[in-house]
Amino acid sequence: MTTLSGRLLKTVAVLAIVVWSLGPIVLGVLTSISTQRDVASVPSHWLPHDATTTAYHELLQGTRGAAAGGTVTEAGTFTRSMWNSTQLALETTAITLIVSTMAAYAFGRLRFRFGGPVLAVLVGTMVIPIFVIVISLFQVLADAHLIDTKRGLILVFVSTLTPLATWLLYTQVKEMPPEPEEAALIDGCRRWQAFVRVVVPQMSSGIAAVAAILVLSVWGEFLIPLLLTSTMNAKPVTVQITEYVGKYTTNYPILAAAGVLALIPPAIVALLLNKRIAGMLAGSS
Amino acid sequence: MSGTISLEAVTKHFPGGVVAVNELSLEVEPGEFLVLVGPSGCGKTTALRMVAGLEPVTAGQIRINDKIVTKLPPRDRDIAMVFQNYALYAHMSVRGNMGFGLKMARMPKDEIRRRVDEAAAMLGLVDYLDRKPRQLSGGQRQRVAMGRAIVREPAAFLMDEPLSNLDAKLRVEMRGEIIRVQRRIAAPTLYVTHDQTEAMTMGDRVAILRDGVLQQLGTPDEIYDNPVNVFVAGFIGSPSMNLITARMDGTGVVFDRTRVEIPPATMTGRPGLAAYTGREVVVGIRPEDFRAEDDATVELKVNRVESLGSELMAYLDGGQEGFEITARLERSAQVQEGERARLAVDRERLYFFDPETGEAIG
Repeated sequence: MTTLSGRLLKTVAVLAIVVWSLGPIVLGVLTSISTQRDVASVPSHWLPHDATTTAYHELLQGTRGAAAGGTVTEAGTFTRSMWNSTQLALETTAITLIVSTMAAYAFGRLRFRFGGPVLAVLVGTMVIPIFVIVISLFQVLADAHLIDTKRGLILVFVSTLTPLATWLLYTQVKEMPPEPEEAALIDGCRRWQAFVRVVVPQMSSGIAAVAAILVLSVWGEFLIPLLLTSTMNAKPVTVQITEYVGKYTTNYPILAAAGVLALIPPAIVALLLNKRIAGMLAGSS
Repeated sequence: MSGTISLEAVTKHFPGGVVAVNELSLEVEPGEFLVLVGPSGCGKTTALRMVAGLEPVTAGQIRINDKIVTKLPPRDRDIAMVFQNYALYAHMSVRGNMGFGLKMARMPKDEIRRRVDEAAAMLGLVDYLDRKPRQLSGGQRQRVAMGRAIVREPAAFLMDEPLSNLDAKLRVEMRGEIIRVQRRIAAPTLYVTHDQTEAMTMGDRVAILRDGVLQQLGTPDEIYDNPVNVFVAGFIGSPSMNLITARMDGTGVVFDRTRVEIPPATMTGRPGLAAYTGREVVVGIRPEDFRAEDDATVELKVNRVESLGSELMAYLDGGQEGFEITARLERSAQVQEGERARLAVDRERLYFFDPETGEAIG
């Protein structure tokens, strides 16, 4: 009796979580294959009368005039923004990983003057909200002619994400036994060779996890690129999507289609690295 | 192959004023297996790490094969080291682990393969060369660590408690294995352990370290027979030597209500002893120097008896609260818990120490 009600409770809880997490996605997918008329009808119905890919076509190939009801799309802009997001995420992640893996190793293993305080200050910058510095950040980037460039955004992302990445990897370095790299030093390695050949492979599970965090963080960034970009030169998909909100009316299927497409790359990253992280954890013990 | 490891007044100060190793001097001779032994925190591992180049030396000099290496990085010292936790490269196969040092030395692939195969054959690892370390048992991992060390054919071997992570049976097995391999390679080996049994069974010579200071250096027999002080006497031998404070009365020692006559040969052999007449000395009796005999020297109450199968361990009332004397007796010995046992002491084998300094009286 108790086990039955316990199982029932568990099932309900799991269902609630599933609905909570998948609900918006399902709703988005359904909306994206509906017509604007279906979505706008009162009472609105959840399932489209006639499933259609019009919204996707219009999103990718451009809307023709006022037919879109306030939402205007141009051919190529959405794909461009997706490409921008991809570049921003990958380049930021690569640079941040290189910097923070080396920093984490240095803070965790090497004895140098003021190592502790420097790490504390670095990690301490994580508590500063980006809103506090965003105005001065704009000034700095404007002076450096980096407004509306991917390079400028990457610079900002790398510097805001490095403390977190360094901290996460530092805790991993601290947990690793130092003997394998000492063995490598005895086996003929210089410090950097031991780092590259022995330490980094040892850290690979942590690096994969941090990589996932970085890609997802950059992909989800909105405020900073909103303020620091203005054209398709650097505008990521998160900012581009807001353009599909019309002044008077919005074509919800197009908006939803953009959302669905924007979800795919981070979902792939999460799935790929998730598998790798799980594999690493299983193999290490 | 010949070579030496020599330490000259090597000292290590850690930040905060801790002196981990204090003016340690010793020389590992060509082909010799020298064991550095002491309780945990005595500085033995620090000493080894200084020889390896993993820990900077505060003062003194280290030579390997007559070359001063004190300030050289580990890679330039021509050494190989086996670590307590094996320190294998988890992402490489057994072959990769063993060949890594040779690869770093840019040795031709064929030669690496040949040497790894040879070492694997010597260590019984031939069937495991393609496995990853995590697929191996503790003993196999230890063999891989040994293999990684020997393929390099280094000028010197360093081993830091390589057997501590193994279970008791495997430890005994690997002890013999390490000795066998070392004899074959014949490179000078500095072996660190806290286990006096390992030290006594493996070492050509044994160096005993306490609080960073070398206490005694000698063959296992020399150290067992002539410990220079109370610390060495108590540390070497299992179970530990009984150290009993007794009064010297000229020709014998008295403790509690027992008197043990000192043989005249001992008195002449230790001229310093006569000066202690009327004073206290610390008398050392090894547990194995007791015999259950009617021709008894001492008669003591038995607190507890443990049978080890092959022999008996009797814990005798030492006269004071909490002080017990251990005697190792034949299994046939008639001793009963709670009763008084009549035991003979091998009087030729008594040890004498100064109660103030702890030094052996000679």
